[in-house]
Amino acid sequence: MGSTKFTAGSVNWRGVLEENSRRTKWVMLTFLAIYVSLGCIVDMLMVMNQYPQLTVEQAFQLLTHFEIFPYASVSMFAVAAIAIFITIKFNDKIMLMGTDSKEITPETASSLQEKQLYNVIEEMKVAAGMRFMPKVYIIEANYMNAFASGFSDQSAMVAITRGLMSKLNRQELQAVMAHELSHIRHQDMKLTMMVAILSNLMLMIVDALFYNLMFGGERSSDNGRGNPLIPIIILLRYVLPMTTVLLMLYLSRTREYMADSGAVELMRENESLASALIKISQDHEANQDSYASEYGQTKHEEFRSAAYIFDPKAFDPAKSIMNVFSTHPSLEDRLKAMGCKLHTK
Amino acid sequence: MKILAWIVGLVVVVGFYIISVYNKLIGLIEAVNNNKKQIDIQLDRRFKVFESLIEVVKKYMDYEKTTLKEVVALRNQAQSAHAQGDEAARMQAENGISKIATGINLVFEQYPDLKANQNVLQLQEEIVNTENKLTFAKQALNDSIELYNATKKSFFESMIVGLFASKLDMNFDYWGLSSEQEIKEKENYTVKL
Repeated sequence: MGSTKFTAGSVNWRGVLEENSRRTKWVMLTFLAIYVSLGCIVDMLMVMNQYPQLTVEQAFQLLTHFEIFPYASVSMFAVAAIAIFITIKFNDKIMLMGTDSKEITPETASSLQEKQLYNVIEEMKVAAGMRFMPKVYIIEANYMNAFASGFSDQSAMVAITRGLMSKLNRQELQAVMAHELSHIRHQDMKLTMMVAILSNLMLMIVDALFYNLMFGGERSSDNGRGNPLIPIIILLRYVLPMTTVLLMLYLSRTREYMADSGAVELMRENESLASALIKISQDHEANQDSYASEYGQTKHEEFRSAAYIFDPKAFDPAKSIMNVFSTHPSLEDRLKAMGCKLHTK
Repeated sequence: MKILAWIVGLVVVVGFYIISVYNKLIGLIEAVNNNKKQIDIQLDRRFKVFESLIEVVKKYMDYEKTTLKEVVALRNQAQSAHAQGDEAARMQAENGISKIATGINLVFEQYPDLKANQNVLQLQEEIVNTENKLTFAKQALNDSIELYNATKKSFFESMIVGLFASKLDMNFDYWGLSSEQEIKEKENYTVKL
């Protein structure tokens, strides 16, 4: 990339926030629709197993008019609700797993730099009008990265590597922290968890149905005319995994855009975040090999990779250049959404 | 019979809607009030930082001659204005402190001993921190006023505000520079070196 410069323009951050929260709604609706249809299919299969003389249309009629109670759909929703509740409750414990990290408080800050880190986060908390202060952690690592997790006074936390803290100036650090606090105030963690659980459950159900069809075959041969739901299940089994992954990645990119414009909203300027992102990107490019091994040596990196402000695999050649397969939008797109234009020499 | 059921249903839905809008607006009003208090908290904190700064600096430079003495004077002005309820005078004094706070690093440059002092470095960071917090608290206040005004004035909500005007219809002033003259002054300001 060489030297990278950018020109900062103005940006309508309200518009960007609105557009992306609309996108989020669509993704969530799609997930819900898939989940409901899946529940419907399971119920119909159960009903048709019980009363083999029914056609698909009749089974559908009976279920949607509650003449037969849709047990499968209701229990699927109950399972999803419980799983989401439990995961959200215990999630903050896993985010720091495997890292060498320590908590920073105004009392325990051991250097001016650490105090400054705490201060900029507190400043952004004031700007966001948040009622609670997230816990602040420093990860002892050279690479420049940061992530946030949680959404309430008990679970909220931000973590930042020492590399990031020492290589950014006060303004840039503040912008990065504004991005992280925006993840917290937009409740992105909750959303990500919900989507992840829903898609895992869906895949489990489809798998169960599929293997039941393939190997539980004794009884299904009785109604030899072949259930028209069977091709749908086979199709789902091959299409659904990819679909959920693509949807989740799309959602993740959407939330990144929102966190970026949330940072602009708090800072009321876009240059600091732009220059911080460029610095982080260049630093990753320059130290590609050493960072790759450092990330590699940290355990449980997979829990964090989507939560980071910068995608550690952005320069991984094995990863497709295609945007649809990444958790973060490209640097260029992010800057563009913030109203900055990237010039590469 | 069926029509009656529909009417009752409609009344219940409208009732719930009115309650939810009422509660939302009360929440927004309290957020504005809280944000106003937040500014007071930051002003208070800033003075405490200055007090500790004065303690440290005394050893290094002639306190009587320094700008820090002005800070104390301005602070006293602000406090007595606040006690008398004269908000304009108070804000003027507080703004005076802000002006000194931004220049204070330049003052310190002239004292090498001071620059090396770890406590002073920390206090400088504290000053930047409180000044920023003050600015962001004002920004948060304006944001909450914006949200309240936008909700209050939008359709349907405005009708409900009309119903409970004494509870829901507040007039908050955005935080800005107080006079036209002051705005002109800041616009025309150039740095003289």
